[in-house]
Amino acid sequence: MPDALMLLAAVAASVAGMGWLALAMDVHWEQVRGDAPRRPACVACLRALGALALAASLALCLAVDHPSMAALVWVMALAAGALAVAMTLAWRPHWLAVLVMRAPGRVGA
Amino acid sequence: MFANFRLAMAWLHTWFGLVLGFVLMVVFFFGALSVFDREIDRWGIPASRFEPQPMPSFDKVLKPVFESMQPTQESIDRMRPRVDGPMPERYDTVRRWGAYTTHRDPVLGVFAGYEVPNAKDPDEAIFASRTIDPRTGAALPDDRLKIGSRFFYPLHYSLNFHWLDLGYWIVGLAALVMLAALVSGVVMHRKIFREFFTFRPRKSTQRSALDLHNLTGVVALPFHFFFAFTGLVIFAGLYFPVTHTQLHPLHELHEQHEEQETGLPQDRAGVPAPLASVDAMVAEAQRRWASRGMAGEVGFLALQHVGDANGYVSIYRAGTDRIALTGEGIHFKASTGEVLHEDPPPTAVASVAEFLTGLHLQHFRHWLLRWLYVLGGLAGCVCIATGLVFFVEKRKRQHAKQGSSGARVADAMAVTTVTGMLVATLGMLIANRLLPENLPNRGDWEQYCFWGAWLLAMAHAFWRTAPVAEGRLAPAWREQCWAVAAMAVAAVLLNWLTTGDHLLRTLAAGYWPVAGVDLFMLVSAALAAYAARRLGRRVRGAADARAMVAEAARA
Repeated sequence: MPDALMLLAAVAASVAGMGWLALAMDVHWEQVRGDAPRRPACVACLRALGALALAASLALCLAVDHPSMAALVWVMALAAGALAVAMTLAWRPHWLAVLVMRAPGRVGA
Repeated sequence: MFANFRLAMAWLHTWFGLVLGFVLMVVFFFGALSVFDREIDRWGIPASRFEPQPMPSFDKVLKPVFESMQPTQESIDRMRPRVDGPMPERYDTVRRWGAYTTHRDPVLGVFAGYEVPNAKDPDEAIFASRTIDPRTGAALPDDRLKIGSRFFYPLHYSLNFHWLDLGYWIVGLAALVMLAALVSGVVMHRKIFREFFTFRPRKSTQRSALDLHNLTGVVALPFHFFFAFTGLVIFAGLYFPVTHTQLHPLHELHEQHEEQETGLPQDRAGVPAPLASVDAMVAEAQRRWASRGMAGEVGFLALQHVGDANGYVSIYRAGTDRIALTGEGIHFKASTGEVLHEDPPPTAVASVAEFLTGLHLQHFRHWLLRWLYVLGGLAGCVCIATGLVFFVEKRKRQHAKQGSSGARVADAMAVTTVTGMLVATLGMLIANRLLPENLPNRGDWEQYCFWGAWLLAMAHAFWRTAPVAEGRLAPAWREQCWAVAAMAVAAVLLNWLTTGDHLLRTLAAGYWPVAGVDLFMLVSAALAAYAARRLGRRVRGAADARAMVAEAARA
């Protein structure tokens, strides 16, 4: 796979990972899914998924660049991912529903 | 003095943040622009809009250039007080010739250092520099300012304030305070994980500003920390000038040891010697890099003690694919071309130092990381700007009641440093396109336009923040947002009118340096216009609310 695509995937993994970590939090789950119930196991599952995605992002970075550079790319990709998720939660929270395999419908609609 | 540690930290964060926040805003914003300094140079100097070039042939192109160089009258005058006796007419004893290039440079900067007879410090050299077209060796006009790499970039680390090197010291202090602000900010922030993703734009301005301040501060915390820290590391030699003060004898001794170890002479032999083909040395260096599995281009080429039997040529590999700027130096005897010394792999300490400076200076090829750095820098700007807005929002009503103008002054300064800085930057780019091509000292005029535009923005900010003293929103923010939007569009249009390089052409040709600068300005214009409209709506909303209250009171 070309480097550019791998890096794109690394950034995407970082955004998804941050998204899952956010969904593991009650406030953000409500913003995205409204009253939809969530089992405690689901929280643990979301956290694990988030951590895995962030690790995958690191692996992708390492596959493309020298480790010294990959580390920088990863840390910055994490920041970009967190910012992207925070901004989505602020303006279009229901978009994050795709991360839990739901169509991004408006909450309560 | 303070009831608890957290309050002490809050005091530190608030007041140091306010005072040095204005400096940090400049450092962060021009740092973010410096990520693309060379691309901004291309925008500002249309004659240099061609593809990046590798290091040219020394024997054919560089040698005649170096031989024709002499220090400018300006640098001779600056040197005069540090010399006993008169200054010579010509400088012929070359201590060093050098040329540095990266994968983003179409034009090549070269420098020459000469010995100065009777200098009070015999180690001090006088320098000449020139920028050439590496394809032909032709010199570019000296007074054409490289806006990106010679104005925005030094503004980032020295504020272009060179009296007593005070600019460096102010920025250094700001970086130190920034580190303290990061630590104290983390201490103050009670819900660092619970509110990690929290931004509530629909709450009050004060709350939204604090959310955004925390968000941009926390998610980019590693970036903020590392850049403040590595910035200090890069200038450590300036902040702690020990090598040439307390440790001077040790430094001299170290130089002698180094000479013995590497066989590279520190001083001239005093015996003239010819110069062998440097191109052949470059070919040999590239062959050796390739044999180590690190084929690469030349990043830095330097000739020491030119014309002397002790002369040697150092060739360094460009650090395009790694963090370190250059490396794998190979040194040749200038008169014969034999290899004197190959730099061993760097020690652990040297590698860390190279990594720390390299990650900040980023001469590597990695466009994604470059853009992520811009994002980090702009996140820092948002963090500082929202910090200033929060400071004002928190106090303005109280100050209005007390009749104090503290919040108003802080708000005027915030407008000056946030939108005023954008006005100054765009003012400079517009001046760059409007000033006559052959105006003498054109670069100086561009700088006057920059500072002039900033002063105007400041005057406007102080004039149009009067409502803050009554606890209302300053119109200065909205008006300067409109100015930024209009100026950004004007700069893009002027680039089209004066050079013919409109976006359709640069995008079709894939010429990203100019297309990128234009697109960046258009996006900024759109964002500024959007912000101005939102601010306008907020003012009207507040006015309607007041009118309704007044109406209700009358009824």
